[in-house]
Amino acid sequence: MSTIELKRSMFHEAVSKSPSFISGVCSFAKREFRDALSSKWFLLYTLAFTILAVGVSYLSLSGVGSHGFAGFGRTAAGLLNLIMLVVPLMALSAGAGSIAGERERGTLLYMLSQPVSRTQVLLGKYLGLGVALVCSLCIGFGVSAAVLAWRAGGVGVGSYAMLIGFTSMLALAMLSLGILISVVSRRSSVATGIALFVWLSLVFVSDLGLMASSVLFKLRVQEIFALAIVNPLQSFKMGVIVNMNASLDVLGPVGAYASQTLGDALPWILGGTLGAWIIFPLGLSILLFSRRSSV
Amino acid sequence: MSLPTVILILLVALCAPALGAYDGPERTRSTDEILSMIERAESGDTIRVPRGLYVGNLVISKPVTLDGSDGAVIDARGEGSVIDVRAQGVTVRSLTVRGSGSSVTGEPAGIRVSAPNATIEHNTIEDALFGIDLRQSSDSIVRGNRITCKDMEPGRRGDGIRLWWSHNCVIEDNTVRGSRDMVFWYSENLRISRNTVSDSRYGLHFMYSHDTVLVGNDLHSNSVGVYLMYSNRITLTDNRMRNNRGASGYGIGLKDCDDIVITNNALLANRVGVYLDNSPSSVDSTGVFESNMIAFNEIGLLATPNTHDNVFTLNAFIENEEPAATHGRGRLMLNEFSRDGSGNYWSDYAGFDLDRDGVGDVVYEPRSLFGAMLAREPNLRLFVHSPAQQAIEFTARALPELRPESTLIDHAPLSSPPSIEISLGGSSRSGLRMGGVACALILIAGACAAVLGSDHGSRSIRTGEPS
Amino acid sequence: MIIATSITKRFGRVEAVSGVSFELGQGDALALWGSNGAGKTTLIRCLLGVVSSRGSATIGGIDVARRGRHARALVGYVPQELSFHDDARLGSSMALFTRLRRVSTGRAIESLETVGLRGHERKRVRDLSGGMKQRLALAVALLSDPPLIILDEPTSNLDADGRGEVVETLQRLRGQGKTLLFASHRPDEVISLADRVLVMERGRVVRDTTPSDLWPTEKPVQVVRLYLEMANESDAADALRESGHAVHLNGHGLCVAVPRDRKAEPISILERRDIRVRDIEVLDDVEIKESQR
Repeated sequence: MSTIELKRSMFHEAVSKSPSFISGVCSFAKREFRDALSSKWFLLYTLAFTILAVGVSYLSLSGVGSHGFAGFGRTAAGLLNLIMLVVPLMALSAGAGSIAGERERGTLLYMLSQPVSRTQVLLGKYLGLGVALVCSLCIGFGVSAAVLAWRAGGVGVGSYAMLIGFTSMLALAMLSLGILISVVSRRSSVATGIALFVWLSLVFVSDLGLMASSVLFKLRVQEIFALAIVNPLQSFKMGVIVNMNASLDVLGPVGAYASQTLGDALPWILGGTLGAWIIFPLGLSILLFSRRSSV
Repeated sequence: MSLPTVILILLVALCAPALGAYDGPERTRSTDEILSMIERAESGDTIRVPRGLYVGNLVISKPVTLDGSDGAVIDARGEGSVIDVRAQGVTVRSLTVRGSGSSVTGEPAGIRVSAPNATIEHNTIEDALFGIDLRQSSDSIVRGNRITCKDMEPGRRGDGIRLWWSHNCVIEDNTVRGSRDMVFWYSENLRISRNTVSDSRYGLHFMYSHDTVLVGNDLHSNSVGVYLMYSNRITLTDNRMRNNRGASGYGIGLKDCDDIVITNNALLANRVGVYLDNSPSSVDSTGVFESNMIAFNEIGLLATPNTHDNVFTLNAFIENEEPAATHGRGRLMLNEFSRDGSGNYWSDYAGFDLDRDGVGDVVYEPRSLFGAMLAREPNLRLFVHSPAQQAIEFTARALPELRPESTLIDHAPLSSPPSIEISLGGSSRSGLRMGGVACALILIAGACAAVLGSDHGSRSIRTGEPS
Repeated sequence: MIIATSITKRFGRVEAVSGVSFELGQGDALALWGSNGAGKTTLIRCLLGVVSSRGSATIGGIDVARRGRHARALVGYVPQELSFHDDARLGSSMALFTRLRRVSTGRAIESLETVGLRGHERKRVRDLSGGMKQRLALAVALLSDPPLIILDEPTSNLDADGRGEVVETLQRLRGQGKTLLFASHRPDEVISLADRVLVMERGRVVRDTTPSDLWPTEKPVQVVRLYLEMANESDAADALRESGHAVHLNGHGLCVAVPRDRKAEPISILERRDIRVRDIEVLDDVEIKESQR
């Protein structure tokens, strides 16, 4: 056999023995999903989220008798607060632990020595964790939907689906950010630390800071709106509200301004902001991870 | 085939649809046909208008009953008022009326009445600037009409039902959608029951109209549910104001009204449940709010700073973003929130009831720091429903010197919500319940399927089946 | 099979591998020899494309830097640290690699059978012994029957028996024409498996040589002369032959060829048969003719 023929046969062998891009990603996603399901954090978060969601649904309907149906908006508002606290924490810590943890245990190296690319490993992890998170949310939402149906006589299926959709997007955005943190930090304890810090900033610090600066610098409504939607949590909140009420007037002058000037484009803008928070951190982590010179 | 034949065939083909229209059930006739029927009739006669589409305007100047239950449609094709009632004692029943003019001058209406003692019932009015317009038509009845106004921007629409100097009227069971207001000017001693107004500006709007009873009306998705202005001695009972969240967004708004009695109403998910603007305005008059369900509004009760002499008892303030607030920095101390040892139920009451007498043992004083901030900086409302808001309230609770003054004091807050049932002909919700259950089941099943399905690969290795 | 051209890898200011070049033909076996920190592990990671490096490496003509995914499909890799997910069960771990290597489930079962792990599929990886993990890694490496096998200290976690087994498996693979590249710091392994040795020091290849060149005086086997009762000599010779040793009877005791590090082994074999050894003597520079086995 000539060297060229040899090379060609080697190449054929190589191609036939390495998985396609999609099936590689899916294999990792499956494994990640299974790992997540059997891990303690997943069970703990699912349980906590379910209990809190049911509690909020139940409490917000107590004492309103047959008027409960009208109160679904308020239930959603109560759920909003809960979601904005718990879901980012859940997704950020899951993401932050993923790559850094495997790097620390040495399993990452072993995975990378298989016939797969770094992009496949990263995307697989992201997909697996993402599906696990969405499943966890669905269990929580499902149980509280049952409670709502039982207590209040029903939920608006459409708006409930919208709430689940937006929450899933928030979870995926936070997961994407968590993975980015995981890629850049050398150790998993560092990654968890950064994730907690990011969580605090997104949940409390940035809102409080924006509140303070809007008062101190007398920001105009359009400036406040533009700055607020940069925070994925705020665009999540506004997205849910705009889909439930068809307007943001609940949110005072700023919300009314946004509803009037942006009109029908508003839900798309808010959804798009969340989408950007999914795509950009994930894209950046793929870039950084595949450019990384060591494991 | 010769050219003329082709042209002929084409012509026939083109004309066929137009020709066909004349064979339809709605043969176009003129309102003159109705007019001549009226001329032939005696006073007090009932005229059954035959089925058909009548084009033109109709002036009724003889006390007859016009009955369109056979399917009569009157269309003014956008010119003036469709029906103009000029004789007293006329009844217009079961007609479909449409296509009034649309210019504001002359205020064209679907049915205009300018004589007393009219009965307008069970008509369907579509595409009209004003729906039913009563001018100096006391002792009239407007009942069971369905009104939709012209599809225009809200500022240019006319009123669904308007009364002008028309006393002692009964307005009941009407349904109005997409109009400006159902409005009552200088009209006294009305009875307004079981009307539904939605997607309009003000559901029910009173201007200088006194001594009226409103019972069982359903006002939803308007800018304001009920707005009473300069009108005294009005009683609201069993009404429901839901989801009124326009620019003003009040469930009930009161401006300079004396001796209003509001009992057993449901004010749900409005921007503001009750808005008090200088009411009551004169000395010695009071406002009474008893047994109302004020729930899920952004602000339960909003008042101008010097509002006084309102008495709130046995109301349920449930899950309002802010239970009570004032415009600016004022307080509600000149109003009473408890009388004879019973106050209201406040869902954010954090006190306790150790002696189990149904009344909390500590007074209710809402002191929300975020609420106080909102009063000063309305833009901050953007941040409601967020953990940051909770953080601010938490801080205020931990550091009492940051807490603002309370806006009101309820000395006898109820420890459990009073039972308030509003008797409205509501629709069954079993469909929705099923929907909710189905939704829950699908979600849980989906999650479980995903969990179980994932085990497949490893199981096949365990059991040795080829995959 | 492998062509490496001036591979250089820096970690900060330290060059862990500097300018390493070599070629490895198909069917060859190459050992990387050196102390800890000499750069063996890093070089292997560079060859796999797991870490990026300067210079170029191809496996089977496929550029590792540009098509690492395909290049790695030709390699079965056994790492030094065994790193499977502790919580996963052996079966589901294997299932992942089955998909990644595009082989059938039957092949995975076969491969577990080869390394003697069949029947342990329900066990969690954390409950496996070091030897079982090593064998699992080998099973994964052999899953897709790759032409090149790269091992990083493949016997470091094993006891003497385990080492013997692994070396035996690798010798069999060599016999099948597989190309072998491994790092080791056990001379006996290098001697019995490799036909070439790259000696590394501080990231550089200092010698490219053969095992026999590297250890000219050290033979893989030494001859031990056992002195026993004359009557037992032929029984003893049979017993030792049965357990696989080359034996030579020459009237001055029994000469047995033993691996350098297992010189006492014949004594324990004979003691199990109640044959007493009176004295022993280790002979240098004596070879036993294989014909006498």
